Order: sequence, then structure tokens, then C-alpha cells
Amino acid sequence: MNHTTSFDARRRWLLQSGASCASALGVGSLGNLLLGARPAHAADYKALVCIFLYGGNDGLNTIVPSDAARHAQYSGVRGALAIPRDRLVALPGTEFGLHPSLAALSAAAAAGHIAPVFNVGPLYAPLTKAQYRATPSGAALKPDGLFSHSDQQVLWETATTHSQERTGWGGRASAVLGTVNPVISVGGSARFGLTTLQSPLVLPGPGSTFGAYGLQPDDLKWAPMAARKAAIDLMYAQPQDAALADAYSRMQRDAFAMSQRLGALVKVEPGKAGSIAAIDSAFASITVSGRISSGLGRQLYQVAKLIAGNATVQGDRQIFFAQAGGFDTHAGQIAGSATEGEHARRLQEVGDALAAFYTAMKNLGLGQSVTAFTQSDFGRTFKPNSSNGTDHAWGNQHLVVGGAVRGGATYGTYPQLVLGGDDDVGTESWEQHGRWIPTTSVDQYAATLLGWFGASDAQLDAALPNLRNFGTRRRLGFV
Amino acid sequence: MRARNEVKPRHPLGGRQVRWATALMASGALITAAGAAAAATTVTAAPKPQWVKVTDEGGAFNLADPKKVRFGVSGRWVQKSLAGTVACTSTFFGRDPAKGVAKQCQVYKVVAAPAPAPAPAPSPAPSGPPAVDAAVRDAVRLATQASFGNTEALAAEIRTQGASKWIASQMALATSRYTSGGNGTVHQNTSNTGFCDKPANAGPNCWRDNFSTIPLVWDFYRNAISKPDQLRQRVAFALQQIVVVSGTEADGTYGFRSYHNTLLDNAFGNYRQVLKKVALSPVMGDFLNNVNNDKSAPNENFARELLQLFAVGTCQLNTDGSLRGGACAPTYDNDMVRSYAYALTGWTYPAGGATPWGCWPKGTNCRYYGGDMVPVEARHDTVARTLMSGVSLADGHKAPAALEAVLDSLIAHPNTAPFIGKQLIQQLVSSNPSAAYVARVSAAFTSGKYASFGTGQRGDLAATVAAVLLDPEARSSTVIVNGGKLRDPVLMFTSVLRGLNGQSDGDALSWWWGEELREHVFRPPSVFSFYPPDYPVAGTALVGPSFGIHNANAALQRLNYLTYLLDWGGSAAAAGVPNAIGTKVNLTAFTADAADAGKLVDRLSVIATGQPLPTATRAEIIKAVSWWTVSTDKTNWQINRAKMAAYLVFATPSYQVQR
Repeated sequence: MNHTTSFDARRRWLLQSGASCASALGVGSLGNLLLGARPAHAADYKALVCIFLYGGNDGLNTIVPSDAARHAQYSGVRGALAIPRDRLVALPGTEFGLHPSLAALSAAAAAGHIAPVFNVGPLYAPLTKAQYRATPSGAALKPDGLFSHSDQQVLWETATTHSQERTGWGGRASAVLGTVNPVISVGGSARFGLTTLQSPLVLPGPGSTFGAYGLQPDDLKWAPMAARKAAIDLMYAQPQDAALADAYSRMQRDAFAMSQRLGALVKVEPGKAGSIAAIDSAFASITVSGRISSGLGRQLYQVAKLIAGNATVQGDRQIFFAQAGGFDTHAGQIAGSATEGEHARRLQEVGDALAAFYTAMKNLGLGQSVTAFTQSDFGRTFKPNSSNGTDHAWGNQHLVVGGAVRGGATYGTYPQLVLGGDDDVGTESWEQHGRWIPTTSVDQYAATLLGWFGASDAQLDAALPNLRNFGTRRRLGFV
Repeated sequence: MRARNEVKPRHPLGGRQVRWATALMASGALITAAGAAAAATTVTAAPKPQWVKVTDEGGAFNLADPKKVRFGVSGRWVQKSLAGTVACTSTFFGRDPAKGVAKQCQVYKVVAAPAPAPAPAPSPAPSGPPAVDAAVRDAVRLATQASFGNTEALAAEIRTQGASKWIASQMALATSRYTSGGNGTVHQNTSNTGFCDKPANAGPNCWRDNFSTIPLVWDFYRNAISKPDQLRQRVAFALQQIVVVSGTEADGTYGFRSYHNTLLDNAFGNYRQVLKKVALSPVMGDFLNNVNNDKSAPNENFARELLQLFAVGTCQLNTDGSLRGGACAPTYDNDMVRSYAYALTGWTYPAGGATPWGCWPKGTNCRYYGGDMVPVEARHDTVARTLMSGVSLADGHKAPAALEAVLDSLIAHPNTAPFIGKQLIQQLVSSNPSAAYVARVSAAFTSGKYASFGTGQRGDLAATVAAVLLDPEARSSTVIVNGGKLRDPVLMFTSVLRGLNGQSDGDALSWWWGEELREHVFRPPSVFSFYPPDYPVAGTALVGPSFGIHNANAALQRLNYLTYLLDWGGSAAAAGVPNAIGTKVNLTAFTADAADAGKLVDRLSVIATGQPLPTATRAEIIKAVSWWTVSTDKTNWQINRAKMAAYLVFATPSYQVQR
């Protein structure tokens, strides 16, 4: 951890830009006292929103070729799982379309605010098929635990090729850039937001109480509760005889501090006190009787609130983490027709939630300041199995959505749709399933996002240790 | 300001903000510790700074602004003024001030002023802490590791019998069972009306009682809180987090009942038998798509997770659980996964199910969970296969023989003993066992014997569990800095209830507290269970599986669970729950000791942790407990003392992180 760099950076920043220290002083009365009212967002506010699709999303059915020749290649192998050309949601300016379940994103697509990025996956360095087959397992060029959910989730979340890695690229980027908050996760304690010293800030959903009952400021006016709180504070300030207990105590202390700051904001629900019309109206299509109808929808509603509530959350750079699960479609990926079934349902939830979020950002005038992007364990086999499903693969197709995104084009290299071909890990007849060797690495994908986010080349190298193995191709241009 | 977010020393007006603001006003240049301290003291009469331990040798921490830091032990320090990341090592500090001695790092800083002491109670002054009784502590420790929570009666029982005899007696007890919920008729519906749409079945609880895992949750918590075969239930709970099925992706209550009864039955049997029953389970067949898996193009789901999660793991291991060769060398490649997928083809549901439209695909049975899966050889791939551990299948093999070969290859594999052994240690005793501990447990798994436990057959779980619990690392009275584990939410639920003579029908611990704390029994989000075994704990070099579902929100919800039980009276019996008893504790036994706050707190501390609490924590808790007196609440001061004491004792790191 290069503490010198970040400390010096803070010193330099302090010397140069005293006035905008305002945002760092927090909501305490002292901050207001010294520097008066602040704008809701720094002019240069930016947020990144990672949406992790757990299980391994079938990217080949998410972004589908729409030109006749390639679609014929695609459907020739995909068979019953092939999405018909005429059902695709257009990505104007490209020869690709989205799965019809993502219809809610058609407005964003038409506005040129969706970029597909092809054949992305964990890599140590650029890797040809010949190299892959010649490299022994365990050597650096072969990432750890290929085709394993847990290992690949770690590799995507950490942007490394080691499944033992303890820190996430979201966490490292936040640390290197010195953001006010760690990664804020609305989707659990994923590794993405971890640093060596800090956990991500994990918040519950809208309507939840983020706080300790009986220990709120009002409760403490009553003596026994004040005494209880004093005992709580003291017990969590004591050094412990076990490292895990110290870690536990530290999280308790942090939790109280965070809930003081964010509890009220976390609780806000659609239509209730404190809610913002610009956000509620965007989420109206997935809100039923005041409750957002999907898990990812609730998470992104929360992210929208936290972005709008920047005066409370603080900071001009924030990384968020959200997730949806259930993408491991080994069997029954489709049911009835290719556009129905399990995968269609899961994608519908993602499309509807993401479209609502995109609209909310636009409504808030922050469309250009917020970029959402997908990640997933891996893509799935091009060739389906006999259970109407697909199995674990590697390189995958992903989506980046936001007002700053350069849509109307595609990024990365779409794989050659040839079983056993140059992009397929397999050669022998029994291993020709269309598991693509990535041609764009997670590092390059992340570097493009972080570059937009404001990271310098040095900061990119610090946050993404393998990025230098990809030479100058570190800004792919999709945002 | 892009300041790094880390734990700040507490200051009445908010520490870091004050220092940044005053320093900015002063000069905007390098902030010194002296300047910060001076600025802090000019704002208000702040408490004096003092030396406070931050971490043990080997740890690391971060300072937002420069502080005095010292490395060493009492009387022998290296002191520096530092900021940013600090590694608590001799290398970082430039020399070793106390060779061969475990050192620590301390920071010179302001700590929270304690709250003003409440008015002194008229009752007698609280007694001082009793000495730690090592035998009591060890009994409570074993109860914590081997049951769903210590009780005074259980600790006494363990003390009387001794650890080894108690474990043996536990293994000999009759098995508690899952009995609640509907039956297989859910999969025998030949009418076009859905099962829960039929008048005979219709009602708000039809799905709950016949398809969901909720009835099992009721049995789970009732048994965990009151049935005597505690160790068997703990081991079954551990096994269900390794060989995972989830109510989120399969339904049919009777199927899950059968699956989990099988784990109870085999908890002290042999792991090969566990794997066999899992492989033949139609619930598992649905969950991981091996039912009706066909030789033409089999899906890889079950085969892959059988290898990765249920048997050998993805990296080659030494017997002590460390990575063979120091880095991850894959245990198998994708071709091997596919070989297992082919070998495991050709199984369908047992006969007995029925649907209005017959059974599909043709030649297979309808969905039915009333028994093991049966072979359907037409779908079984008979091609010769090479499996792991030198096991192979000759051309023309049949499904049952192929399954036996699969099981033989897995139980023989050198990875299986440390892979399973280490996870059992993590589930029962410690998240970070030493390599030597893992090696000893692996040896028990491999030899099938540990002292008088086990049959001598490789994979013997009685021997393995005995090895886990009787190992010196589990029984040693010396606290291990890297030892212990954060109690699972489930184990916290039950141990607070058991320790406080409580009861539960499980209802509130499923959709409410189970969901709140992300451990809703029988509904893990995926086959990867509730959390990964290697979840990294930030700020340490350790792993903490249960930290994978712990965070700022969970931190406060754990306290809210205590408020719910103690201040809100828990849950009353709910109308729709069969034989409902609600969820509540019973503090009557403790109100008898309420007059002496010290005695009350110590008694609860011993139940919770086996010993009195550390001095400062104990004193502050006694202060809070002592606020309640006959003057402040004539009728209820004793019960309120008990509630306050219980809340605070079970909130302590000493309890929440078992050592």
C-alpha cells in the first residue's frame, strides 16, 4: 500500500484547493458553521455502479448479432436457444441487438447510451489459443480456477488472476483515489469493495432501519439508555485478545458512525417522507403499492437515493456495488420459446431496474456523471447441452450504460462463432463447446471505467496490477 | 476532501473534521500531531491522549494524520511519528526491540471519555470479578463448539463427564428428526388443478407447509434449542453448508425433510456415505440438474460442484490444508469435470410421482422425492472414463457401478481429508486453524480413527469430529491471537435463547431474523452456501467465513436481535404456526441475582463466554446495570437489571467472537 503517495496527494490537494474542502467536513454543525451552504454535488461528481450478475450470465444471448450472416452462424449452433433476429432490441449504429427482455433499455439504446463490450474476461496478459494450450496449469498466463464460479467471481471482483486475492478492484481504486467513502454496496459483502484495511460499506434496502434500536440520539436522553450506549461504546473501543474480535469491534464502531450519518437516507421509500419525485417517477414502472418489485430494483433505487443525497453521503467520487443472482442456467435456460424461461426472467429484472436507474439519473441531471456496468462470473458455452441449458465458459459480453457512454458502436472483439475455432479453448472433438478465450481483459475494462472516473495512469497501475501487461490498450473508449 | 476513510479516534466534536478544519485555518500545510492535539484542546476541554493498542505484530493499520506510534512490548519500544499505512513489523520500524517476544503496536491518541457515572445504587456495591476457572472456561468453550449454545446445565454436564466422555455420550444419543410439513402427494397430482388450488389444500399456508422449507425451520430451531443430541445437530448443520441444497431453487417440503434427516443420520457415519446419499438425492438432482442428465450432451453442474465443493476443491492441498507447491495448482481440469459429468449420467427420480400429462422426458420417472434416484441406463454414458485417484471405468459400465467408482475416486483423493477436515474445524472451532491442527484432523479422516473414536474406515466422521473437538488447539487454555470465529447469526440466535432459558418455534428466525442477518436456514442463496470459507477479514491477514455476511448493517442488526428478545419480549405464539410457542427468553433465574450487579453480570458472562469479562468492559456494564434500582423503578428494577446485563454481555466482542 503506497501510503506516501496518497498522503502526499492529500497534502498537495489541501494546499491547492482549500475552498472545496467543504464537502469533506461532513454534516456536522461545525462544517456548516465554517463554510455555509454547499451545492448538492461538486461540479465534477462521478459515480460508478457495478452490477454483478452472479452465476455466469449468458452474454451470447444478451447481446446477439443482428446481421443475417452472423446470426445464421449463431443460431446454427444455439439451436432452440437462439433468439430470433426480429425480436432483438436494436442497438443503433451496430449490427447487434439486445435480448427482448431488455426492452426497457431501448430508450437508452436509442440515445446512444449503451455500449456493448465483447469477449471480456480475466487474463494475466494477452493470450492466444496456442499459448493457452501450451501453458501448464498453475502458470501465470492461466488464471486460477477457470470455469469455477467462486474463483471466477473472485477474479472479476479483484481484477487479478489469483483466486486467493483479498482485495477488490473497486476497493483498491477507492483507496488509491482517496475517496471519502469506501465502496458502498447495496448487494452484500462482496470482495469487490474490500481493501486490506477496510470493508465496503454495506447498506440495507429502502425502508430498512439502518441503526441500533434504543441507541438513537433521542433514546439517549433517557439515562439507562445513555448508560447502555456508554457501555457499548467502551466495549468496542477495547483492544481484544483475538484478531477477529478486534476486527469485529472495529466494524461495530464504524457501524454506529455510518448509521448516524446515513440511517435516515437509507430508510426513505418510494412516496414516503424524504423521497425524491425525480427518482420515484423513474422507478414507477417497477413499483407496486409503494414497494419496488425486484431485488435489483430495490438496490438501484437505493443507489439513486445515495447519489441524490450526496450532501449527506459526501465525496465527489463514489463507487457502488449491486448484484442479481440466478444466472447459472445449466438447465431450463429457456422454456417454451427461446425468449421465455429462466434467463429471460432474470434479464427482465436487470433491464427494468437498470432502465429505471438510467432514467432517474437523467431526471436528476446527472446522466453524464453516472456510469453503470455489468460484470459476471463468466460467459456460457456457445453450444448448449441436452438439458436446454449452457455450461461454464470464460470470455463474456457485457454492457455499459450511462449518459457519458459512447454508444452507437461496439467495443472489444466479438468472438468467431466457430466451435473449436481460434477463440475456443477446445480443439479435440469432445471439447468443442465454444468457451471463448477473452480478447479483452477485466483490467482493460476496469481501466476504461476508472479512467473516466478520474484515475491517472499511475493510479490505474496501482489499482490494477496486471494492467501493464496489456501495453497501451488501457482506454477502450466506451466511456 | 478525498481523505481515506478509516477508524478515527473519538473526539467530542468529531475528530478528523476538527483537525482538518483547524489545520486548514492555521496554515494549510503539513499537519503535525502536536498541532492537531493543540487544535483539539483549544476547541474544548478534550480528554488527554494516551497510548492505545492498535494491532499485534504482523498486523497493519492506517493513520489519517501523523501520530506517535510505538512497536514492541512493555518497557521495550521503538517509537516513531508516522502517518498513512503502518505495518507492525520489525522491518517497518527498522529494528526488533524485543526478540522472540510477541509484540504489538500502540498509537498515542485521545480515547472516548467514559459517560458520567450514574447515581450510586442503594443496593450493595457490586462484587469484584471472580478468578477465571479454567475447567469452567473449557466446558463452556466445548459447549460453544459442540452445541447450539452453552447453558449452565450443559456446562455442568461437560465438567462432570470430561470432554472425551461427553462427546462419546453425545454420539450415542438417539437422533432428533425433522417431522413437520406435507408429504409426497404434492408430486402425485394428476388433475389439472394445481395442488394448492384444490379445495382440500387451499389456504394461505398451503405452499408454506407443502413446498417450502419453513416447516423444517420450525423443527430445526426447536431441536437446536431443546433436544439433547446437540453435537449431531451441529455436525449436520455443518454438513448442510458443505453439501448444499437450497429451498430457493427447489421445492417439495418432504424432499428437504428427507435430505436433512439423512445428514442427521450420517453425521457420525462415513463421509463416503454422505456423498452417496447426496448424489442419489432427487432434491440434489433437481438443485444441480443431474436428474435426467443425458449422455448425449450432459450438463456439468452437479459434476463440477461435487468436485469443487463437496469433495476435493479447486486447488491441490497438502494434508495440512496448505496449497501444494505454495500457489494454486488445479486439482482437476475441465476435461475431468466432463468425465465425471458423463460418468454420473443416467439417473432419474424414483418411481411414485405422477402428473396430468405423464412423465417426461420419455423413459424417465416423474418428479418425486420419496427415495433415492434410480438408474435409467438408456441415458447413461457407458464409454470408458479415467477418473481421479487412479480410478477408471471400463467400457460398458452401468450407472450404479459408475457412481461407486466416482465415490471411490473422491474418498481416496488426498485433497478430501484436508478439504473437508478444515471446513469442519471452521464450522465448529476456528476460522483460521493452524496447519498442524488441520493435519491432525486430516489424519483422523484418513485413518478413520482418533483415540477411541471411529471405525478405522477412511472418511469416518466420528473420528474426524472427535479430532476437531479434542485437538489441543480446540482445548488449549491459552488464547490464540489468530483463533476463534465470529458466531454465525444462526448460532447467535440459538445460543442467546439457550443461555437465557429461552424457547423458539423458529418462526421469527426465518423470514424475519434469518433474512435480516442473511442466514435463513435451508435457503442459502446458492450451492456456495451463505458465505465462502475463505472470506478475507479486512485489517487482518485472516479469513472469517461468517464475516462474509457481516457488515455495518449486520453489526447493528445483531444488537437489534438482542433488543427484540430482551426489550420487546420477542415474539408471541403466532396463529398460523403449528404448536406455536413464539420466541422468547426467560430471565426469572437471573433476577434472583439482580441485587448484586457484579454477581449478575459475572453469571451471565460465564454462561456466554466461560469467564468474567475484561475489567473495563465489566465495570461499565455493571454501571449501566446498576442504574436500575428500587428508587428508579420500584416494581421492575430486578428484571430490568437482568435485561440490561444480558443485552450488554451478549453484545460484547468476547461473546460475539468465540475464542
